[in-house]
Amino acid sequence: MTLLDTAKERWSGTISTLTIGADAAAGGTRKSVVTVGGAGGLPFAPFDGAPPHSIAVAMEVWDCPPEDWPRSLADALGDVVASPAEWAKACVEKWGADLICLRLASTHPDQGDASPQEAAATVRSVLEAVDVPLIIWGCDLPDKDNLVLSVCSQAAAGERCLLGTVTEDNYKTLVASCLADGHCLIGLSPIDINIAKQVNVLVTDMGFPLDRLVMYQTTGALGYGLEYTYSIQERGRLAALGNDRLMGVPVICMVGQEAWRAKEARATSEELPGWGDEGERGVYWEIATATALLQAGSDILVMRHPKAAQALKTTIDRLTTV
Amino acid sequence: MALKALDIFKLLPKTNCKKCGCPTCLAFAMKLTTQKATLDECPDVSEDAKAQLSGAAAPPIRLVAIGAGAAKIEIGGETVMFRHEESFYHPPGIGVVLPDNLDEDDLRARIAAVKALSFVRVGMRIGVTVVGVENVSGDAAAFASTVKAVASLELPMVLIARQAAHAEAALAECAAARPLIHAATDADWQEYVRVAKSAKCPLAVTGPDLDSVAALAVQVRKAGIEDIVLDLGAGSIAAGVEAMTAARRLALKRKADGVGFPCMAVVREPDPYQNVSDCCAYVAKYAGIVLTPLSGPEQIAPILTLSQNLYTDPRKPVQVEAKLYSVGAVTPQSPLLVTTNFSLTYYTVQSEVEASRVPTYIGVIDTEGTSVLTAFAADKLSSEKVAAFLMSAEVSEAVSHRKVIIPGYVAAMSGSLNEDSGWEVLVGPREASALSKYLKTVWQDT
Amino acid sequence: MKTYAVTFQPDNCTVRAAAGRSILDAAKAAGITINNVCGGDGVCGKCRVVIRAGKVTAKPTMFLNRHDIQRGAALACQTYVAGDVVVEVPPESRTGGIPHLAHEDAVRFGKVCAKIGEGATYPSSPLVRKVFLELPQPTVEDSLADQERLYRSVRKHYDLPIMQMGLSVLRRLSNTLRRCNWKATALLGSRGGTVEVVDVEPGNTAATNYGVALDIGTTTIVAHLVDLTNGETIAANARYNSQSAFGEDVIARIMYAGTADGLSVLQDTVVSDINGLISALVFDAGVRLADVTCVVCAGNTTMVHLLLGLDPAHIRCDPYVPCTLNPPVIRAAEVGITIGARGLLTALPCVASYVGGDVLADVLVTEITRSEELSLLIDLGTNGELVLGNSEWLMCCSASAGPSFEGGGIGCGMRATSGAVEWLTLGEGGRVVGCGVVGGERPLGLCGSGLIDAVAGLLSAGCIDRAGHFVADVCGPRLQKNDAGEKAFILFPGEQTALGRDIALTEADISNLIRSKGSVYMAAECLLDHVGLTFHDVRNVYIAGGFGNHLGVEQAIRIGLLPDLERSIFQVVGNGSVLGAKMVMLSEHALKYIQDNIASAMTYVELSTSHKYMNEYTSCLFLPHTDIERFPSVAKATRLQNGSGAAE
Repeated sequence: MTLLDTAKERWSGTISTLTIGADAAAGGTRKSVVTVGGAGGLPFAPFDGAPPHSIAVAMEVWDCPPEDWPRSLADALGDVVASPAEWAKACVEKWGADLICLRLASTHPDQGDASPQEAAATVRSVLEAVDVPLIIWGCDLPDKDNLVLSVCSQAAAGERCLLGTVTEDNYKTLVASCLADGHCLIGLSPIDINIAKQVNVLVTDMGFPLDRLVMYQTTGALGYGLEYTYSIQERGRLAALGNDRLMGVPVICMVGQEAWRAKEARATSEELPGWGDEGERGVYWEIATATALLQAGSDILVMRHPKAAQALKTTIDRLTTV
Repeated sequence: MALKALDIFKLLPKTNCKKCGCPTCLAFAMKLTTQKATLDECPDVSEDAKAQLSGAAAPPIRLVAIGAGAAKIEIGGETVMFRHEESFYHPPGIGVVLPDNLDEDDLRARIAAVKALSFVRVGMRIGVTVVGVENVSGDAAAFASTVKAVASLELPMVLIARQAAHAEAALAECAAARPLIHAATDADWQEYVRVAKSAKCPLAVTGPDLDSVAALAVQVRKAGIEDIVLDLGAGSIAAGVEAMTAARRLALKRKADGVGFPCMAVVREPDPYQNVSDCCAYVAKYAGIVLTPLSGPEQIAPILTLSQNLYTDPRKPVQVEAKLYSVGAVTPQSPLLVTTNFSLTYYTVQSEVEASRVPTYIGVIDTEGTSVLTAFAADKLSSEKVAAFLMSAEVSEAVSHRKVIIPGYVAAMSGSLNEDSGWEVLVGPREASALSKYLKTVWQDT
Repeated sequence: MKTYAVTFQPDNCTVRAAAGRSILDAAKAAGITINNVCGGDGVCGKCRVVIRAGKVTAKPTMFLNRHDIQRGAALACQTYVAGDVVVEVPPESRTGGIPHLAHEDAVRFGKVCAKIGEGATYPSSPLVRKVFLELPQPTVEDSLADQERLYRSVRKHYDLPIMQMGLSVLRRLSNTLRRCNWKATALLGSRGGTVEVVDVEPGNTAATNYGVALDIGTTTIVAHLVDLTNGETIAANARYNSQSAFGEDVIARIMYAGTADGLSVLQDTVVSDINGLISALVFDAGVRLADVTCVVCAGNTTMVHLLLGLDPAHIRCDPYVPCTLNPPVIRAAEVGITIGARGLLTALPCVASYVGGDVLADVLVTEITRSEELSLLIDLGTNGELVLGNSEWLMCCSASAGPSFEGGGIGCGMRATSGAVEWLTLGEGGRVVGCGVVGGERPLGLCGSGLIDAVAGLLSAGCIDRAGHFVADVCGPRLQKNDAGEKAFILFPGEQTALGRDIALTEADISNLIRSKGSVYMAAECLLDHVGLTFHDVRNVYIAGGFGNHLGVEQAIRIGLLPDLERSIFQVVGNGSVLGAKMVMLSEHALKYIQDNIASAMTYVELSTSHKYMNEYTSCLFLPHTDIERFPSVAKATRLQNGSGAAE
């Protein structure tokens, strides 16, 4: 018996398995689907239990060109940001994203107040442009999201997308839509493991199946609250392994969004001297945030910079090949 | 200590005599479990109890010092697998490894680059804390002279050589600085032990897998070396993370021999993104030393920041920075609320304000992470503090009116706050849930 | 200074007040007590009045909408005289009414804890004893001085090495002894190790020796008049602690004490309450005030400080250090308490800034320390103290549950007095199928126990979900928008109530209760966690506090206030504080027991620094808890109701 065998813990629970995207057999039009979850032990510790089915790397695509992204990020993406469909295509074909995270930012009243119908049209265009599964993320304003996402849910019915987000105060509308249209759902909680569980309880009490649920526990970037997210995710993983079924749900992290808010990622060399190459700083910051969260147990990571997304895919590969 | 408070209590005299300074024996036992007290503070504890308790007290992972003087670092000495159980205590030594086959100018430049790896984040200075020199040339003299040059950095060093004799030669240049000698292998450990012993330095041991490294550590310790570091990063990153995870658990549960030592890795991955990624993985998963050949600030800063983050004590209450925040499109006429810097409080207030769609300033006062009621009760939220904040430049530059809204629970401070600051004090609701209504009705009417 | 006439209706009472004076102050001057829970800060909304005529100015408040203001509603503390004015003070805004629990406490407690036998466990040794002495007259052979003669006789009855006598007693001694022919009664008071001859009364007065046991609560003061010769309680009474006018909770009162004259005002206030109670007691029992020889109080640390006129300022600041934890035995007159002129007064010891003699008294009477079985004691009052332990060790903490158990912070909340719904049962859709109202008349509001029943009932009926939010479909027409535009569940429609207004609960009310119950449950769990134990290790759960009388244990478990354990484990204790005070008054052995076995063994745990408490408090904010597995009997009941049930 090796030391690795001795070190194994007897866990009684696992993370549930979740599939995003419906291929032809399942009634959808995706050519690839993403299956995450299923971990039966600590992250990257095969001696401890079954590894997850996969860890997915998503890339963000906005429905309108983002206004204040730092130069190093904007340059790397280039002109594709003018069209969500083109952007999504580039993410998949050039940069290898496993799935697309479509941000319906323009539906926010302060950002153009796009209508539910306009949003649905964008959703359809992206679904047509790429063959990978889709995450549809609202503008984070509950009242507007309820309107927009229910229409988008219908527009994408049968494609088994992942819609986000619901909170303990606002979940009924979206749960009903996702239930009806066959989608998966992201529950949002503010770095509080109990609220995360409460959201899962409320959603499943409505009849929504646990194996279509994902947790977003709010990502803190490196240097900006990462350790809170890290510990919450570790605690959630341990609870799940200890057979708390309601916590045994895959976790999504908004790495790109948070990492690129950091001064260290955005600032120019004049603004932040001595911190190294302006073009690379943000990429490393995003990669480091992602890698740390991998170690805490993450199932879907949403990235922004193409190089960071590609590097993450390689990292995941290398970490899962002993 | 693995023992629980009640188990320890049962071994104490139970007289509540207060000689130890605690009001009761139970209070003393609770302090012992969190290592805030030591057993010798009780003058009446029995020999038998001492024996039983000290067995449990020996640390599961040895604390190893590397380097000497002010720059010395201590690694290991950890007590938990997950930081949320308690805290991680000794941040890893993170640094650059330099080869010994550079020409003089190159070496000087590289040393300068390492020296520049120092950053200030959130008011704290972080920088590389170790430096490694590797005997790539295979020549003892080159190794020794590079070590001598690198010693000028005055950082704790890791001497990486495949021959004990070369390590010995280099030690002549820096033994007083107590470097870590890397590394004994199955083939030549006796040589390394001899060198380490005579120089009184800590010794790393390496091997292809966890079992061989642990077995080697056992031998080395039997031979008289106490300060050992396990190099578990010799294989793939996947193997390394797995091994370090297993070693940490085995050590804490005292289930295996030879694992109760800090671990290390030298990350040789040529792709820089992957290299930084690997370094981060090792920092997260228990390494006591992480060395990399990279020395760009944009590469090293994130690794150092990650260490800073994960080694923060999570028991200190979750706080937000005490300053003036704004929600929505604020103008100088926007309302100003004050609240405490306890995260939960702040985020609750902020989300209610967001929901109200009324652009508002939120002034956060440092109450050491306590909520409104607790802070007020303990005088951490006082009219003096709030007045000082109101009169600060930050506020006077943002807000043109002189009205402040205080939480309903601290209504009692409105008189004194008005006196101390000269501002008009409005008493807001007790519950954040009523803020939306308050901002839309009462505030609009003022 | 120009003054105006302020007339209060329906009292038809007029006072003059200067412009700018608040209506609340004017009412005080008129002798009309208006509810003033927040001390006049405008944040509780309980001082609602109606301006029938005249001019006032008012500060804006969110408790009144435009509709209300148009109809003349105002908050008395935020409304100021600006001309002659006529003010109507509705009944629900008035304080007063003695909580009915007082008498029932004494009776009920006797029923529940009969095994304690009212002091039988401790040998009789009252704080002030009376002993009848027949002194031998002095002679040439026996020419002992009067004082020493008295002492010698006393020592024939009791072995008392150290005795003392005050100068004023000594001055009267010679005359008294001769006038009553050397037959006199000595009053012996125990003063911390010495015995003082408190007084010498002519003749045999040994049969008339009375004492007053007091529970000085933050909200209510309960007093028992006890016959010290046989340990019987012969009268009981209670009233609200008038200090509430200066602050609802301990912190507010400590802050008030820090203002000029604040401490003496607070002291005078409580002393006046106590003197009022004592007068009423002696009147009821037909006893002479002069025959009341001692008073023993049990109260939390701040209450004791305020009674004795000790500065409580440092109790509330880190590191939370009170002036004393062991108040001395003093003369009652030193703090203005009127009993027999030379009567003594003391208070039970306290343990920490926030855990006082009232809790130690609870521990004494429940006998937690006399058994190896693990017991948990919860005092469900404003402060919410908890004690965990057994004969080997004890721990305590203060949960700061908040006022909802006493009706505070709840729209239709009230204390347990006439008109309070103290229990109710809800049927399908949340319909009230049974209820008990104090005083038997129409309901006025819900008291703590009624509130718990209501929330438990709404949860069982499916009218609220586990987060305490209304489920519109199940609530049906009972869920309506109230005057403030909030969703409210109507328990008792206006036609059925005393005021003609609906008695309803809003989500904010429910949320308040959830937070209170969460604090208590979490505090209990933290105590257990500190010693590595769980609820399953607990063999007895005692629930103390005046509120507990009609507490439905089943309902309390359903909402997650109490842990889901075998029901026989729970015992409602009633008012243990006043009984403990009485036991100490009747026996110094009881006091010694408290000092040696309870106070000195008590380990206080400061919850505000417990990171477990902070991290996991939110898990308690679900009904009954986020982890329903901890409440198997509730989970089972829910599953039975829901049929197969979709979730856990």
